[in-house]
Amino acid sequence: MTATLVQQLINGLTVGSLYALMALGLTMVYGVLRVLHIAHAAVFTLGGYGGLAVYQATGSFWLALAGAMLAAVAAGLAMERWVYWPLLGKPPIATLIASIGLFIGLEELYRIVAGPEPYAFAVPLRLPEIRRGPLLVTPPQLLVMALTAGLLIALWLMLTRTALGLALRAASQDQEMAAACGMRVRGVVMANFAIGSALAGAAGMLVGIYYNSVSPTMGDVAGYKGLAIIVLGGLGSIPGTVLGALVIGLVETLVIGFVEFPLPRDAWAFLAMIAVFLARPQGLLGVK
Amino acid sequence: MYLYTVATLVGIYCILTLGLNTITGIAGQISLGHAAFLGIGAYTAAILTVTYGWDFWPALVAACLAAGVAGALVGAAAIRVREDFLAITTMGINFVVVGVFLYFPFFGGSFGIGGIPSPRWFGGPLAKPGFLVLTLAGLVLALAVNLWLLRSWAGLALMATREDEDSARAAGVDVRRFKILAFSIGTALAGLAGSLYAHYLTFISAGDFGFPFSITILCMLVLGGIGTNRGAILGAVVLGVLPELFRPLADYRMLTYGAILLALMRWAPHGLVGDESWLWRILRRRAAA
Amino acid sequence: MTFLRLALPLVMLPMLLALGALPARAQPTIKIGFFAPLTGFAAADGASTKHSAEIAVEELNAAGGIKGKKVELVVYDDRHDSKEAVAIANKLIEKDQVVGVVSGSYSMPSRVTAPIFAKAGLPMVVSYAVHPDVTKAGPCVFRNGYLGQVEGSAAAESAVKLQKARKIAVLTVDNDFGRVTGAAFIERAKKLGAEIHSDQVYKLGEKEFGPYLTKLQGQGIDLIFHTSYYNEGAQIVRKAKELGITAKQEATEGIDSAIFLQLAGAAAEGVTFTTNLNRDDPRPEVQSFLKKYQAKTGSPADMVGASAYDAVKILARGIEQAGTDAKGICATLTNLRDYPAITGKISRFVKGEVTKPVQIQIIRDGKVRSFAIIDNPEVITPPVQ
Repeated sequence: MTATLVQQLINGLTVGSLYALMALGLTMVYGVLRVLHIAHAAVFTLGGYGGLAVYQATGSFWLALAGAMLAAVAAGLAMERWVYWPLLGKPPIATLIASIGLFIGLEELYRIVAGPEPYAFAVPLRLPEIRRGPLLVTPPQLLVMALTAGLLIALWLMLTRTALGLALRAASQDQEMAAACGMRVRGVVMANFAIGSALAGAAGMLVGIYYNSVSPTMGDVAGYKGLAIIVLGGLGSIPGTVLGALVIGLVETLVIGFVEFPLPRDAWAFLAMIAVFLARPQGLLGVK
Repeated sequence: MYLYTVATLVGIYCILTLGLNTITGIAGQISLGHAAFLGIGAYTAAILTVTYGWDFWPALVAACLAAGVAGALVGAAAIRVREDFLAITTMGINFVVVGVFLYFPFFGGSFGIGGIPSPRWFGGPLAKPGFLVLTLAGLVLALAVNLWLLRSWAGLALMATREDEDSARAAGVDVRRFKILAFSIGTALAGLAGSLYAHYLTFISAGDFGFPFSITILCMLVLGGIGTNRGAILGAVVLGVLPELFRPLADYRMLTYGAILLALMRWAPHGLVGDESWLWRILRRRAAA
Repeated sequence: MTFLRLALPLVMLPMLLALGALPARAQPTIKIGFFAPLTGFAAADGASTKHSAEIAVEELNAAGGIKGKKVELVVYDDRHDSKEAVAIANKLIEKDQVVGVVSGSYSMPSRVTAPIFAKAGLPMVVSYAVHPDVTKAGPCVFRNGYLGQVEGSAAAESAVKLQKARKIAVLTVDNDFGRVTGAAFIERAKKLGAEIHSDQVYKLGEKEFGPYLTKLQGQGIDLIFHTSYYNEGAQIVRKAKELGITAKQEATEGIDSAIFLQLAGAAAEGVTFTTNLNRDDPRPEVQSFLKKYQAKTGSPADMVGASAYDAVKILARGIEQAGTDAKGICATLTNLRDYPAITGKISRFVKGEVTKPVQIQIIRDGKVRSFAIIDNPEVITPPVQ
């Protein structure tokens, strides 16, 4: 029983890591712009395709990762420039609908350009399989967790040790004040988008490798779930989102692993969100 | 004729957009899960007529009630939250509701519910033309409800809430009651559409009522012009009929929806015939002249 | 103003009617209606059926058409959406005025449209959809493929009798195909004396099978049977291999697709599955189709394609003998005997269902080969009264 529990915990943490990378961009954009960037899921998918394309051309995992992140950054910045920034003064529903339209349109564009069928994304992983008693961490799981940890550490260092990080945190707390203090708001907004998108691009490629499948609709589930996760964790809170992602990953896995509950796994994320929401509207780690 | 099929479906879309207009347009509450209420109405009608042998008309009323009550519950939740939170919550409700339909065998589970009978009119089953008339009657009802709402005290309160919630509250408007009212009316209309939908298709399954359909309805409303009934109807007609006319472009349908939403929000957020839209202003000027 | 508000929508409707009032054309060709999921999650299967149906029509026309007239395939994309399927059904009947219909689609669109075609008296041949209700819609609905019950039972025969599995874990995809087939498998497997360890239900589109498969580790499972389509099936076999699960893997016709092989990679080796297309079938018509499909699309043919090919040809046979009269076609097909379909010889239709042997194919060295053929009458006779 403990062996299974441990294994399921590993399963849950791996899935949660993927969710975290995916949802961070969402919460970062919300934090600074107060906008629900639903099209973020399309950036994620682009990372998958971009990474695959570069990998097929070069055979190098690291180049592919760089490619995925760069493609995502480009897409994110384009969205910021042509959709979000111009719509800033307008009512939030307008931006929300525009974002949905962008998401749907892009997904369809991927389907029309790359075809509706999934592509395999096979990368031979020269990583060890870890077996310690009941614990089993397979090479793909190791890849996901290690890379996520690495990216999160880099993000944390950036946020706490650099001037840009300080500016980002200031902007997410109070944009007017920050501008009054002389911060270049536009530059910070763009940097915010870039970083969030880069993380999504990496997530897209990782998911592609982990499931050996890159398809136009791969952003769907993660996109919807990402929204539930950031609300659960606290809109705009980066640690909250990471925590929320891990919690959802674990809850989904453990429910399937140990409970015979009929609801589909995706509904769980939303149920958890609604539950937390009613009890604590600011989310797990959000500020009121 | 084939025409009846298209017209009936478009009529059902109109009832849906009108209902969404009540919630999103008039009261300014964002609902991204409207299809869930269509589903609640449809399943209520289906189960009552198929499993319990109810007649079409009582089942129809029950469908509206069920959807309306569900809407009231969401409205109650809407009280605590604003804008973005509400959007995600309604999306989440869509997923949860579909999940429930899919998993509990009482709702047919993954088999859906089939063999839904035709409505009966004076003893005989309703044929296609008759069904179209029924749908149009539903449409007129939805329109009448919305017009009544706009004119009534409740309507004024709702619009005030939409413009500025805090001021409305300060002026003594009971924001809570009106939000709940708006939601219930909008979702009850979706329930009406649901009953018609179930009897028209004779077979329903959970997948019919997912988030993509909610987005389609929203797209129709936005295209026509949020906040206006004429916009709701025009949007539903245009997006309902267009795919039929341009079969070769069927592959690009969703791409077009996305592009429409994006372009509209960017450059014409009032839609085709919304209050401040270019087209409507011209029409108004012509009418006044 | 109020008048305008009420009048405007009522004015728009005649516009709609005017837009749709296109005249019916004269019929210089024989039109056969065809629908399949050309977009959406099942797009690969949809494309396969469309190409195969086209091959069938090309062959018919190369041989001079039917009764001297060319055959025209009227193709629609149902997007695996019931509203769409209903609209298509009505359109085929009223606007395109087809002579008969072939469903290249899954169970749901087929189920929704069968009653509509039945009411219009049009003959319908279903390529491979498995839900029992499809043929119950009327006496003119014929199914070329297996019933879910037949397929599930045959899979159990293969798993328990041929592969000697004692303890079996089942994974069921949550839709009509999965439920019907999975239930039949479990019933038959138990009858044959095997122990069913568990039946886990997962949603269509699931990618993460870690939680489901971890439950099966260290439980002494001999074989995992899953109803799945090519995406999920690939994820299941990959994850099982990743977790070091050595149980045998058996699946269904859902994975019978080149995409499965691509996505599963090395994990596909040794996987068996039930289907109606035997790649090693020596009959020339089978091999000819396989070659033509490969030449036309660049990929190997699969079950859905072969089934659609057969469905079109079966309907064509009905038209050949009875002309364009719907009742005549129905009667011809009801009286059809010993039809040499490439997906298995059809001795006759009983209430629209066929009795044909179930192929068990296996993947060896990245290729699909024959493993066994289940022809036990108790198993393959469809349970129709």
